[in-house]
Amino acid sequence: MTARPLAIIAVLAASTIGGTHSHEDTNATKTHEASLYREFFVGLRVLRGFVANAQAQQTAAAAPAQATPGESPYRIAGRLPVRIMDLKVEPATIQPGQSVTLTWATENPTSVTIDPLGRVAPRGQQKLTPSITTTYTLSVTGASNSSDKRSVTVVVQGTTPRAAPSDAIAKPVKTVPRTADGHPDLSGVFGYGAGGRGGPPPSPGALPTTPVLKPGAEKFKVARAADDTGQYSSCMPPGIPQSFLVPYYIQIVQAPKHVVIAHEYLNLHRIVPTDGRPHPPDPDPTWMGNAVGRWEGDTLVVDSIGYNDKTEINGYRHTEALHVVERFSRPDASTLQYEATIEDPNVFAGPWVVRRTFPLLPEYDSINEFVCENNRDYKPLFGNK
Amino acid sequence: MKRYLFVLASLLLLAAPLSAHHSTAMYEMANPTTISGTVKRFEWTNPHAFIYLDVKDDKGAFVEWEIELMSLNHLRSYGWIRTTVKPGDQITCTGGRAKSGAPSMISALLKLPDGRELKS
Repeated sequence: MTARPLAIIAVLAASTIGGTHSHEDTNATKTHEASLYREFFVGLRVLRGFVANAQAQQTAAAAPAQATPGESPYRIAGRLPVRIMDLKVEPATIQPGQSVTLTWATENPTSVTIDPLGRVAPRGQQKLTPSITTTYTLSVTGASNSSDKRSVTVVVQGTTPRAAPSDAIAKPVKTVPRTADGHPDLSGVFGYGAGGRGGPPPSPGALPTTPVLKPGAEKFKVARAADDTGQYSSCMPPGIPQSFLVPYYIQIVQAPKHVVIAHEYLNLHRIVPTDGRPHPPDPDPTWMGNAVGRWEGDTLVVDSIGYNDKTEINGYRHTEALHVVERFSRPDASTLQYEATIEDPNVFAGPWVVRRTFPLLPEYDSINEFVCENNRDYKPLFGNK
Repeated sequence: MKRYLFVLASLLLLAAPLSAHHSTAMYEMANPTTISGTVKRFEWTNPHAFIYLDVKDDKGAFVEWEIELMSLNHLRSYGWIRTTVKPGDQITCTGGRAKSGAPSMISALLKLPDGRELKS
């Protein structure tokens, strides 16, 4: 396994942890923690297996997913090998200055790259105007170390092929981009957040990552009935910071006096002024709060109040006195670092933090539409058990 | 060390299901069900896509099953498009059946008419 797909899988995996636990935080139990730790050590054993017999793993990747009795269907699905369904270019031969359409399709991928274009979405179509004869190579990686590769060539008449196509790969930008006013440009589409329970332990002296309830505030810890499928089932806004803890992409659009922070999940967004204005006096309580931003060096600090009391944060309810301070930064060109400090004097004994790291997804221009048009009542599916 | 932790984290990808919109507590996930049938309708919608499948029961009668899939962003990341499944397709779904016993399940993987298996 090479470093690049490994890193991508790691990011996806870490995000899976975040995503999964974000749903289950609401009834975060020691049993769940124990189960995660168990899976961690199962993972360790699997790792040893990988190292010991990488060749065998490669062979297994080509075999269809086989179930063992009692195994979760998602574990079975997690072994499905990646494949390339389509890669074509039309027309295949052009005159200099003419364009072609490159079309590709993959299934069950964890990473998709086209040399010399860089990272691309699992399926897509792109208009290209190569100046010389060029070979486009689609490379995919997937579960269980599976991979596939296919190439097509565009012949540009009267030109000679590029000698070493891989030299022309669009290399990831190494430095953090900056806007005209000198601030780091946070703009981009970012993948699922990593760093929940799978993240590194907090440094000494750092604020706690789990809250301490103030005496008498025990009722704010969420306890769910067995047939309650969680805070997201209703398609109501998760609020802040919970909107960052779901397994859906986010997008930031940075303008000189505003930063737009958009979430694919429910298409929620905030338009945060960064011109130094204060909060309005006594803002109406809302699902996403009233946010104002400012720059502290290279960190965007978003201060928000004016929340209603209908959302949850990592398994705790709160009151309208909720105050959240979020810090956004780009430690490197491909990462968005997020930290939210949470305070509610009616509920918590002191401030606590939620941290996530989001990978930049250069292959996407925007998040998708997300409307809960087909939501269901799942209670009848539990039956009377 | 950090990279080592990433390696371990990556393995959890194989171990932990990716929840999308709600918990799967209403489905029998520990005891997977596999059913085959003919697609009547495919709803390419959020927060979840649905397939309605005509399935022959033990007595030869057709029963309509409701098959829940992931949300569209997840399905797209697995390579799905809105025509991946079409009415009339013979498909096989593996996932968790509703605890109530209703002909309803959430599918984690699906076999298409040509034998391709896709995460769902």
